[in-house]
Amino acid sequence: MKPPFLLDPSLYAQVLDCLSNLFFTDKVGDTKDMDFLRDDRWLSDTAVIDQVSLRKGLWLISLVFVHHKMPMKFLMRRITSHACPRRAGMMALYMRRLAAKDQRGTLKIESDSFHTPLN
Amino acid sequence: MSISTKHRILESAIRLFNQNGVANVRLQQIADEAGISVGNLAYHFRNKDVIVSTVYENLFEEFSEILSFYLKGPGLADFDQQLDLYHAFFAKYNFYLIDLFEIERSNAAIMTRWHQFVAKMLLQIRKRLDYCVQRGLLIPEPVPGIYDTLTNNIWMAIIFWVPQQILKGQSFSADHFKNAVWAQISPYLTRRGLDEFAVEVQPIGSNI
Repeated sequence: MKPPFLLDPSLYAQVLDCLSNLFFTDKVGDTKDMDFLRDDRWLSDTAVIDQVSLRKGLWLISLVFVHHKMPMKFLMRRITSHACPRRAGMMALYMRRLAAKDQRGTLKIESDSFHTPLN
Repeated sequence: MSISTKHRILESAIRLFNQNGVANVRLQQIADEAGISVGNLAYHFRNKDVIVSTVYENLFEEFSEILSFYLKGPGLADFDQQLDLYHAFFAKYNFYLIDLFEIERSNAAIMTRWHQFVAKMLLQIRKRLDYCVQRGLLIPEPVPGIYDTLTNNIWMAIIFWVPQQILKGQSFSADHFKNAVWAQISPYLTRRGLDEFAVEVQPIGSNI
């Protein structure tokens, strides 16, 4: 007969207490708790632009997520930084391809859409 | 094929243990019950001790499974479901309790395992009572120590109800078994506890 796994009785009592407490500490969630998912849903339809910039002696890789119909709705996220610019460029490319829904890059953002004032 | 034969042998052994007691069953009887030759049986299990040990191994595994059903849900129905499992277990292995004192003499390892399970069971019942008090389903302990006694009584009802029915030559249905256990608890239920009991437990089958 194989030896059983044994738990000290006082420890077992504590485990049971924790299980009982779960029903008092855990509360039923609210639908608005999941709003963050709905808020970020637009990110699944974005064009992703990678950007490499020099910052504090390192090449910082950032990704810009731009809504494919409303270019003024965008989000910029700093991903990582690298000492070598060539490697940073390569990594930025891979990051962009990983993040973009449209991996072949057929979704285009027209620069005119930003209506940038030139004065 | 080999697994099913083994399974058949164990099922036959359990049936015979329940009918005649562990000590009164011979290998020939198990082989006859399983519909195989003694030689075939010896191929799968060297001797009766190995069969007994395997049966107990399975039995303890099933019992651990029942213990793991502690507080899967917050309501009284959770305990009722665990009671169903206890009943199914003791109905399947009723030889176990009837032969318990005989087993104690011959196999100390089995008895030690059983003591460990008993300790866990008692702790689970006691903690469940505390939990029900916290939820307002049971009245706070009216006299210090009475819930320890109640724990023991519930445990006795769970363990010894099936053997005492067999002793009286009466049937041991799950509903009657659960009634016997709930009868210990119901005097301590609060109004809220009684309501929850009426909604969650009673419609399932018990009629206290």
